[in-house]
Amino acid sequence: MISWLKLALRNLFRNRRRSLFTILAIGLGFAAVNTLGGFTAYIFTSLKDSYIYAQGNGHLSIFKAGFLQEGKLDPTRYLIDEDEMALIHDVLARHPEILVTAPQLHISGLLSNGKVSTIFLAAGRVPSAVSKINRHARGLVGKIQLFDGKPLEDDVMRGVGLSRGLAEQLKLGLDSDAVAMAPTVSGQINALDAQVFQLFDSPVEALEDKLMSVSLKFAQSLYDTGSVDRVTVLLESDELTETTRTRLAEELAAEGLNLEVKTWNELSTFYTKVKQMFDVIFLFTFLIVFTIVVMSVINTVSMAIMERTREIGTLRALGVKRRGIVGLFAAESMLLGTLGSLLGMVLTVITWSGVALLKPTWIPPQITRRVPLEVYLVPDYMLYSVLLLIVLSLVAASLPARAAARMQIVGALGHT
Amino acid sequence: MSRIGAPLLVELRQVGKIYHLGESRITALKGVNLSIQRGEFVAVWGPSGSGKSTLCNLIGLLDTCSSGTVHFEGQDVTALSDDQRSELRNRAIGFVFQSFNLIPVLSALENVMLPLQIAGVSAARAKRAARKRLAEVGLDDHAAHRPAKLSGGQQQRVAIARALVTDPALVIADEPTANLDSENALRITELMRRLNSDNGTTFVFSTHDQRLLDRVERQILMRDGEIIDDRSPEQSAMRLDRSVRL
Ligand SMILES: Nc1ncnc2c1ncn2[C@@H]1O[C@H](COP(=O)(O)OP(=O)(O)O)[C@@H](O)[C@H]1O
Ligand SMILES: [Mg+2]
Repeated sequence: MISWLKLALRNLFRNRRRSLFTILAIGLGFAAVNTLGGFTAYIFTSLKDSYIYAQGNGHLSIFKAGFLQEGKLDPTRYLIDEDEMALIHDVLARHPEILVTAPQLHISGLLSNGKVSTIFLAAGRVPSAVSKINRHARGLVGKIQLFDGKPLEDDVMRGVGLSRGLAEQLKLGLDSDAVAMAPTVSGQINALDAQVFQLFDSPVEALEDKLMSVSLKFAQSLYDTGSVDRVTVLLESDELTETTRTRLAEELAAEGLNLEVKTWNELSTFYTKVKQMFDVIFLFTFLIVFTIVVMSVINTVSMAIMERTREIGTLRALGVKRRGIVGLFAAESMLLGTLGSLLGMVLTVITWSGVALLKPTWIPPQITRRVPLEVYLVPDYMLYSVLLLIVLSLVAASLPARAAARMQIVGALGHT
Repeated sequence: MSRIGAPLLVELRQVGKIYHLGESRITALKGVNLSIQRGEFVAVWGPSGSGKSTLCNLIGLLDTCSSGTVHFEGQDVTALSDDQRSELRNRAIGFVFQSFNLIPVLSALENVMLPLQIAGVSAARAKRAARKRLAEVGLDDHAAHRPAKLSGGQQQRVAIARALVTDPALVIADEPTANLDSENALRITELMRRLNSDNGTTFVFSTHDQRLLDRVERQILMRDGEIIDDRSPEQSAMRLDRSVRL
């Protein structure tokens, strides 16, 4: 077996240039796929962390069943009242993996600067709970402050945050005063004084001129209710998301509560869309690399077979079986695949360390700040790439090699 | 030398071979009958295109006949599968080719080891056997050389060592001297004759050079795909028979 590998290796050295180009093609393809994969891994992680931690949405959100479908039409019907909230707290308290529980009430109404008014949408949250979630963020996401101004406070009800577009429309700046108006749950019009504590970028562009953030107390006072419309939950780790969701749903149902538990990726449409887009880009890149690798291996092996036809005839005459001929060329292309993958790994690590060293920055979509561009080293991708490229080389070689093995011996021997 | 009763090494009965070249059919052999005993040294000679190579390829199990039967060691090989024929070639038949056909990336020694390694013999044993055979053809000091570093005559001697390394029952040498100068051609022929008489290996050797036939007792003359003369005791009756009919 060793000597057949040796024979294959020596055969690769016969046409160094051709073998080198094939190895280069495989290596570059490997590096391209893995660098892109490492970049998308960084993007996905950043988006996920910014949704869960920086924006304070947590891993899981608990709603009244049907809220997400019907809630807009009849908000009051889908509110979680204080009794239900107490039951939910009981259930959540049993789970040590839950780090933070943050009730929310999302409201809408009109915001006025005294002269004109415009529609706003606001998440009413407990500022201390949100900042607790923020503080659990790993790495860069935790360090980026997403607003200008000062933080909201649990007990300073009037302090609110405005998206820049909304502030601009109403000509409001930091510390400006405004009035928020909305119907209460019982239908009366209510109004509350507000002061602009902070300005932020809306994570969703369409909401840039509408979004507001307020404390839960502010939201509840405006709606004149003690209820909330969701409870967000931060878990110890991302991996627990699915299992905890299932268990919470069961336990809440057992308490007689008609609730549904949604995961962060079900709620973050932006993440899902970006992921889908990158998956398509990744697929295209992968298909291009796939084609290049298959074509260059087929080309290399076909040329080798043509040049070595008489040798194939000789080996067959000496007693090598058809599958032995296939095996010989398979071994050669497996070596090409292996050497190409090794080169690819080296190139990927070089790219990775280059990025880590130079620390380039960029402005990603939906964010108005320059952030570091990173490429992750994903060992899983590398392992799969190696296996896939070797298998691919084998499959690509087997097409011409099988044809070579079926050649007439006498014809092959007569070949010049 | 003939062992009455022992099975013939090779027996061809009414063997025909037709090549298809597009629309046309070329009859390369017609109705060939031939028996070869173990230990014989057989020269097949005749003009170019007379069917010598076709005959050698059929005897060497490199090709299949269009009609008739080929027996090897008493076994009808016409119906064997490709794998079975490969195994039989590896075990029992050695080949010496006109253009040497050494594997260029292997040294002389590795080339000689090759048939044994194909058979799955360990590298150490193959190496020992190959060294012995290389010494036999006088090339033990060239063991590490690649074929490109050897002269034509040396390459053909390596090829002969390779053909003999498995101790085959039969060695087929189709025009082994055609690419050599006359001095080397004579030396190669002498070498094969010596190996035949020393080891008792059966040789079938083809040539279009009549000068190499000196002292070869069995000479098969071919013309237009037929054996027209077979100077051997066993076949003389048949030859006479046919010449009467002609
Ligand atoms: N592969 C082939 N296809 C077609 N015709 C062939 C082929 N091989 C040999 N022939 C023909 O068969 C006849 C015998 O050829 P061959 O056995 O090579 O003769 P020799 O070895 O005596 O020169 C010739 O007419 C030759 O042209
Ligand atoms: Mg010939």
